Amino acid sequence: MDTETQRKWDAASRTLDLFAWGDDHRLGPHKRRLFSKICGATLMVAAGTGNDFKFFPPDQHIVAIDISPQMLERAAKKAAAYQGTIELHVMDVCELPFADASFDTVVTVCTFCSVPKPVVGLRELYRVLQPGGQLLMFEHVRSKIGPFGIFLDLMTPLARRFGPDLNRDTVGNVQKAGFRLRREENMYLDIVKIIEAVKG
Amino acid sequence: MYFIIGDYVAGMLIGTLTALGVRAAVWPGMDMVIAMLVGMAVGMVIHLVLGLLLAPLLGIGTMIPAMMIGMYGGMFFGMRDSMAAGSRTLTAAATVGALFGAIVVLGIQIYDRALRGAVIDAGD
Repeated sequence: MDTETQRKWDAASRTLDLFAWGDDHRLGPHKRRLFSKICGATLMVAAGTGNDFKFFPPDQHIVAIDISPQMLERAAKKAAAYQGTIELHVMDVCELPFADASFDTVVTVCTFCSVPKPVVGLRELYRVLQPGGQLLMFEHVRSKIGPFGIFLDLMTPLARRFGPDLNRDTVGNVQKAGFRLRREENMYLDIVKIIEAVKG
Repeated sequence: MYFIIGDYVAGMLIGTLTALGVRAAVWPGMDMVIAMLVGMAVGMVIHLVLGLLLAPLLGIGTMIPAMMIGMYGGMFFGMRDSMAAGSRTLTAAATVGALFGAIVVLGIQIYDRALRGAVIDAGD
């Protein structure tokens, strides 16, 4: 377990929900649309405080993991309010204890901006997905537009101390991990994206 | 509508405060390169503080314009103030700051509309 990352997100858990209202209203409908594609055994990586549980379709059984115990403490109440079942587990995405091909769907929301070794984590997701299983991601990435990209690079050393990196190439990392891209959609400029990928 | 108006109000507020902050930190005759760097630093601090304060209400849509207004606006205002070129009163400087903020927000909204949608769609 990466205890340094764990400590950082334990600390961030105190303020995470404070920043959620605006993005929930701005981006929530897009998350709901993405999550409507969930099917079969589902793993949610980096559940955080459970703020995105409300966008899940009802009647699913979802295993939700996070590296931070304090995040999951806050998520427990939201998991209990979900009209289905959500199991919460403290886990590092880079060291998943699940057997190969355990899940049909993996969901992430602003996760691979924060995992210190993103390709290692994505390879673990590839391993635990069934052949043909889907990876549904709602992520922010580095912009390829000059002035935005430069600024995100400049801000990343500061942002990384308290939260996520701002300049990740998550689309490239998904492909490096072996996934086949099914869909990439810009949600806000070319920074907030829906990424859908398939194993195999 | 809330977010459209909110983005403009936030952009104009950050533009105004950046212009006033730079006016307080840069004086006529200051080396223009130094003035640009000072302006950029002032703008970045202002955008970070206001961006964090406004993000709970407006989300990421306020952070990206805020950084453009703070960083690039700070540089432009620093250049202008070191040359004492235009905006002689604080009111004029604040007005130009607000206008700059609104124009940046408009530009980013247009750019966002152009970029939004599928980049790759394998259709399966």
